[in-house]
Amino acid sequence: MSKTVLVIKWAVFILIFITSSALCQYDMVEIDNSVFGDPARPPSVFEHDAHNENAGLDECNICHHVYEDGKKLEYESSEDMYCSDCHSVKSENGSPSLRKAFHMNCKGCHLEQKAGPVLCGECHRK
Amino acid sequence: MGDPAVQNDAAVEAKVVDEGIDRGVEALTPERIESVINQVFEKETGARLQAYVETCVHCGLCSEACHFYLSNDKDPKFSPVGKVKQTIWEMVKRKGRVDADFIRNAVEVAHTQCNLCKRCAMYCPFGIDIAYLMLVVRRICHKLGVTPLYIQDTVNSHSVTMNQMWVKEDEWIDTLQWQEEEGRDEIPDLRIPVEKEGADIMYSVIAPEPKFQAGLIYQAAVLMNVAGMNWTMPATPGWDNSDMAMYTGDNEIMARVKRSHFETARRLRVNKIVMGECGHAFRSIYDMGNRQLGWKMPPIPVQHAIDFYDELLREGKIRIARKFEKSVTLHDPCNIVRGRGLHEKSRSVVRAMCDNFIEMHPNREHNYCCAAGGGVINCGPPYKQKRMAGNRVKAEQLAATKAEVLIAPCHNCHSGLEDIIHHYKLDMEVKFILDILYECMEKPE
Amino acid sequence: MHTIYQFVSGPLAWIAFILFAGGCIYRVAALLHTVYQKERFIFSYMSWRHSLNSIFHWIIPFASVNSRKHPVMTVVTFVFHISLILVPIFLLSHIVLWDEAWNITWPALPDGLADVMTVLVILSCVFFLARRIVLPEVKYVTSASDYVILAIVAAPFITGFYAYHQWPGYSFVMILHILAGEIMLIAIPFSRLRHMLFSVFTRAYMGSEFGGVRHARDW
Repeated sequence: MSKTVLVIKWAVFILIFITSSALCQYDMVEIDNSVFGDPARPPSVFEHDAHNENAGLDECNICHHVYEDGKKLEYESSEDMYCSDCHSVKSENGSPSLRKAFHMNCKGCHLEQKAGPVLCGECHRK
Repeated sequence: MGDPAVQNDAAVEAKVVDEGIDRGVEALTPERIESVINQVFEKETGARLQAYVETCVHCGLCSEACHFYLSNDKDPKFSPVGKVKQTIWEMVKRKGRVDADFIRNAVEVAHTQCNLCKRCAMYCPFGIDIAYLMLVVRRICHKLGVTPLYIQDTVNSHSVTMNQMWVKEDEWIDTLQWQEEEGRDEIPDLRIPVEKEGADIMYSVIAPEPKFQAGLIYQAAVLMNVAGMNWTMPATPGWDNSDMAMYTGDNEIMARVKRSHFETARRLRVNKIVMGECGHAFRSIYDMGNRQLGWKMPPIPVQHAIDFYDELLREGKIRIARKFEKSVTLHDPCNIVRGRGLHEKSRSVVRAMCDNFIEMHPNREHNYCCAAGGGVINCGPPYKQKRMAGNRVKAEQLAATKAEVLIAPCHNCHSGLEDIIHHYKLDMEVKFILDILYECMEKPE
Repeated sequence: MHTIYQFVSGPLAWIAFILFAGGCIYRVAALLHTVYQKERFIFSYMSWRHSLNSIFHWIIPFASVNSRKHPVMTVVTFVFHISLILVPIFLLSHIVLWDEAWNITWPALPDGLADVMTVLVILSCVFFLARRIVLPEVKYVTSASDYVILAIVAAPFITGFYAYHQWPGYSFVMILHILAGEIMLIAIPFSRLRHMLFSVFTRAYMGSEFGGVRHARDW
């Protein structure tokens, strides 16, 4: 194999790699934890579409809930908002902190359903 | 896994002939052993024993506190916790179901391999009082009738005569009068006031003083007369402040002996008891005998000789005429240093008398024990060789000072250190503080 | 898996904490009760000043003569005990669980530091084990229970370390970790680990006797 061919081969390979990962941004694979600043653990693994398909979730507000006066509103949903819009990093106004909100939303449901990860390292994979 | 608690080979090899133990062990039955041990555990001990046994994490950090351990080439059987393992732990674990051989070993460990000096209490990170545990073992052995013959004889003497040496009442009074007479050669108006009610001080000694060290009473009389003290000595039983019952676990006799001593002082209406240079007697009066009688602290103020000398020197009642010339080193007896913190006072007295004072190391609370106290020397000749082998570190410590004179302000320490010095062929003379103080003090012409 | 997790982190955790707290209270209360019943005189000798003085000299490294005589042991034992107590309480993952269960939270140790401290605990346990095997004066007084206690203490840290690094068998080891922690908690009042509770009292009593009656240092 000549040197040029090798270089081209590598260039193509790298290009495909970059574009593919860029495209996948839409197909969510992990929770965006940038709001934490200096997160203590790796971002939680979460493949949105696969999860919902797997879990048979049709209603968005099962996860993307809206609470008012401590009660979940049955017909409201919040998929157009960031979780951190309501749940700040530090707990405020009685709404759980962002970290706790994530944990309760995911782990809480997993324990209820007896399905899905519940241990730290099952989501925050190294 | 640890070695078995009783190593039979070693036990046979090291077996000593002690009639008190041999006859006592012969009379033991398993039922008696079990019932006595449990009786002591249930009726006479409590949270302390339980906490000490349950808290110990078997770390072995107490080992280097013990002169027996250090001197026996760090044989773990001689470490404080090693002795606890051979005695109390097994008794607790087996709920008292131990055999006569076990008791034979236990009595030897508790009576002749531990001086109850409490140095290990300062080395245990938890402050476990191993000396207390050894005393519990001695108490059990006492109740089983298994106590070394020699020390049991002194306890018998206490019980019959209220003094340790079978000194009869007339002999005692005679000795005081004899020393008064001797003293008058030196100080013509010297007195040993006997039975003087309302005196300020009752001076008390241990029975070996009238028995074979009467010169010490002479020296004390000179000191009292020169210092102009208002003092007295009793003519009745109760004059002896010593107490070997404390060391055999015969608490009932300890209480009788101490009661008699305190009541004698009360009868003479003195303000305080001043006692000679003895350590164990101080422990008995200040720490153990009073508690057995229900007194938190002694019912009458008690002053040890060192404290008394220091007071006389500071107040100028005794003056030093000429300094002692030889180089001296000072031994810190457990019962008045770890037992009463008199180490700085003894140093101030020694410095007042001697120009050439050399510290031994370690010193003060951390000084090595003499290996004689705690009733060990009183267990007599059968154990002397072991006592010598068991305190090589003391000999090394003494030799390192290169001092000509060793000051040992305690009777047991004094005798024990004399043995050590002879055994290890050290060129050293042992003296009480009073020996030197008497020699160096200003006396009327 | 979920059922096991819920069991070990639910009812078992309750049992562990109740036995730990209840056991500790019972042990101390029983100790004081026995003192009251059989050796009441001890209370009359207790002194706050001398107790604290003695305790401080023994919880500060190298403040006692014996701790200076064994510098390696002193460093190891202090590092061990400090890490042993701080890591479980201030580990982020544990705080998250407290937050979820009881809505209480407190500052956490950085994970990296906690990881180092965990390794130190494990190495200390190895050191203690080696002492037991190698040093004659320790070996002589060592019984089987000493090894069991050492294993009980080491287990939560070994499994915790393994789980934190998510090595193979992660979820199984996590369950073991939770169980190991619970066993250790229960063992504290019911084994010689109760020196955690009693040593304060034995030290305080010795300090009071030495300071108040004997007028001598006990360190």
